[in-house]
Amino acid sequence: MKELKILLILVVIVLVGYWGIEPYAHSVMHGEVKHPDYEYKDIPKNIPTTGDPAKGKELFTANCASCHGVKKDGINPGMDANAAIASFKVVPPDLSNIGAIVDEHFLAYFIKNPQDATKNPKFAMPPMAQLSDEDVGNIVAYLKSIEKKDLDGKEITIEACGRCHSIKYQKIEAVTPKDALKDYLGKVPPDLSVMGKAKEIEYLESFINNPQNGLPGTSMPRLGLTKEATEKVVTYLDKIADPHRDQRNALGVWVLGYLVVMAGLTFAWKKKIWKNLH
Amino acid sequence: MAEEKVSRRDFLLYAMGAWAAVGVGGVLYGMYKTWEPLPEVKAQATVTFDISTVQPGEIKVANWRGKPVFILRRTPDMTQCKDRSIKDEYTVVLGICTHLGCIPNWEADKKIWHCPCHGGEYDACGKNIFGPPPRPLDVPPFKIEGNNIVLGEEGPEYKQMKEKGLTA
Amino acid sequence: MKFMDWLDERLAVRQLIKVMLTEYYVPKNINFLWSFGVLVMLVFAILVVSGIFVLMYYKPDANLAFDSVNKTIMMDVEYGWLFRHTHAVGASIMFLVLFVHMARGIYYGSFKAPREIVWITGYILFVLMSATAFTGYLLPWGQMSYWAAQTITTLFEKIPFIGPDLVIWIRGNYIVEDATLTRFFALHVVFLPLLLIVFTAIHLYAVRIPGSNNEDGIELTKEEKKHGKGIPFWPVFMAKEFFVMSVFLIFFFYLVFYQYKFAMDPINFTPANYLQTPTHIYPEWYFLAFYEVLRGFFFSQNLGLIAFVLSMFIAAFLPWLDTSPIKSGKYRPIYKILFWIFIADFVFLTILGKLPPTGLYAWLGFAGSLVFFAFFLALPILSKIEKKKVAGGR
Repeated sequence: MKELKILLILVVIVLVGYWGIEPYAHSVMHGEVKHPDYEYKDIPKNIPTTGDPAKGKELFTANCASCHGVKKDGINPGMDANAAIASFKVVPPDLSNIGAIVDEHFLAYFIKNPQDATKNPKFAMPPMAQLSDEDVGNIVAYLKSIEKKDLDGKEITIEACGRCHSIKYQKIEAVTPKDALKDYLGKVPPDLSVMGKAKEIEYLESFINNPQNGLPGTSMPRLGLTKEATEKVVTYLDKIADPHRDQRNALGVWVLGYLVVMAGLTFAWKKKIWKNLH
Repeated sequence: MAEEKVSRRDFLLYAMGAWAAVGVGGVLYGMYKTWEPLPEVKAQATVTFDISTVQPGEIKVANWRGKPVFILRRTPDMTQCKDRSIKDEYTVVLGICTHLGCIPNWEADKKIWHCPCHGGEYDACGKNIFGPPPRPLDVPPFKIEGNNIVLGEEGPEYKQMKEKGLTA
Repeated sequence: MKFMDWLDERLAVRQLIKVMLTEYYVPKNINFLWSFGVLVMLVFAILVVSGIFVLMYYKPDANLAFDSVNKTIMMDVEYGWLFRHTHAVGASIMFLVLFVHMARGIYYGSFKAPREIVWITGYILFVLMSATAFTGYLLPWGQMSYWAAQTITTLFEKIPFIGPDLVIWIRGNYIVEDATLTRFFALHVVFLPLLLIVFTAIHLYAVRIPGSNNEDGIELTKEEKKHGKGIPFWPVFMAKEFFVMSVFLIFFFYLVFYQYKFAMDPINFTPANYLQTPTHIYPEWYFLAFYEVLRGFFFSQNLGLIAFVLSMFIAAFLPWLDTSPIKSGKYRPIYKILFWIFIADFVFLTILGKLPPTGLYAWLGFAGSLVFFAFFLALPILSKIEKKKVAGGR
């Protein structure tokens, strides 16, 4: 009885301490993580997102293809990677799958005003002010018409993040070279290999949704990913950062089971030995 | 009475000991596994080589598991060998002397391999023709995939050769 | 049995077993807190074994260290993650076990005559273990590793005259860099563990001479222990010890598999960057109380530093601060109160140590630091009172 009392005191002290340094301290340090806003409420929704894909393709070739390719539709960009880096400090993305991962209203507004949509005043793409709302609708319709429907987490991560972020442990190199990125963004964006361990899932979702949520003033642009795409990216980052989770969880059960049996045996032996005392 | 107690204590003690041994076994297994080659090493277990890139009379060296593999495309003036060659004019052998493990050099004028260590010689088929080597140069496990040869995998051709005892 | 005879002739093993185990008596009136000494040994063994296995793939080089830990060990090596989790959690839990072991000694007066050497060697072991933990923490070369080493080595700058040069000498560079990593590595894997083993041997030898203290703090002769008031170390004491160890290991491996984050901070999964300090930096939990004393004197950096050093070492002088003739806290009502205030204060400081040192928290930290020292300063006074009481016949 006395020993149980001591144990109880010990457990209470440990639990109070644990509560203080883990959940409590972290809630004070990090505050509330902002909920991701997948509707992009701040973005005007007056630009149409539907139209004629054929017309859209023409408009795309005339207005976008000098920098952007659409490999899937046989459109090659007008400039190669090095030329693009020389003028924009970053390699413009191929837009084959952009319709599948970016919210359509975000995309439409982005074409007209990239700096405001991404919350990055230094964003490399110039605003396409020459396009009418209807033109934008046609282009968005075109991009959506060629999208691949079910991209997996890895593909989306490469499409959405791979322009600037490397994932060294997966042998994925950023499309834009490090020096150019440093010039463009002020620093080399972090490697994403173990980002799933460095940050909580909720934080990553909120951060990808709007980088200003997590790091006010950061030069990482808001990408306008859809909810589904964001979650797939985060799931992927989480999985590559902790590849042995299933093995660990399964082995843990065995080890703990083994030790419970061990505790039973040692308890029986202790009883036996101590019975003859007193 | 007293004896019974002792035996019961002993039984529990032995059970504990046995159970602890199971645990130690598990830990030792984990330790054993940590010494296995890393995935990047295991990835080198097979090497694919395009043999059509070898010109007649030329010899190329593929690095397979840290060992040199000689890929020779024989010309008609070299020793011919029906039994040690699957794709007619090719000789594919492990470039390690069967005597004491030195790496033999190709002597283009004599069209033989000459081992610098103890003077062993092999013909263009890899057969030992002079000196201390006890047997021909070994043929590494291979699989043929069109123009490619995959070193480190046992294809049907290799298995046939192995059955006939021609690989060593 | 023939083999035992053979060994006995040469090594006197039978006598050894008698002296060390079957006829070494431990008082009967002790509780499971006395098992924590053996638990420390158990955790140390776990740390050594898991340490050897992470060492086989670790690379002490500023360019390679982070990847060798987080890629090679954590991802590529079969069960590498298990050894690293065990090593990280083991280091953390070592201090929990040590704190309990020390608190038991403080409560039951185990530091008092004739056990001063036991206490002092134990305290040296605690300091050595802290140094081992600190040097080991740099090795993964993450942001937390780096900035912990950077800030703690900066503390030496405050030493008069030699401070600034000393810091550079310790780091082998103007900042924490490759040279620092390599020397910390050498200290962590060779020098400090060797010292730990030596002092453990002295500590164990020292405790054998007077024998273990007990709940009542009344010394028992060997005869008394042999005839009813004691139990032989083997098998009686160890029978209980095995059970305590099993229960402890359930707790330990639960943490290793399912609750390891407290020992492997997320911030440390970002590679060290000497140009960017993380938004929040804090030591591992076992240094938080002392760290809070450092920050507690927020109005004077020098005072904070002196207080910090004092807080780390003042407990070593307990045998001379507390000279009361009554040993066990069980029979010292005022001491009991002081003890529990001290424990509560230690937990309080630990929690505060992780909170931002601003506003109310800063003042609470100051108050907590004062209470921490008040405990030790009250002891000589209490000793005087109790001495009078005893002299007055109760």
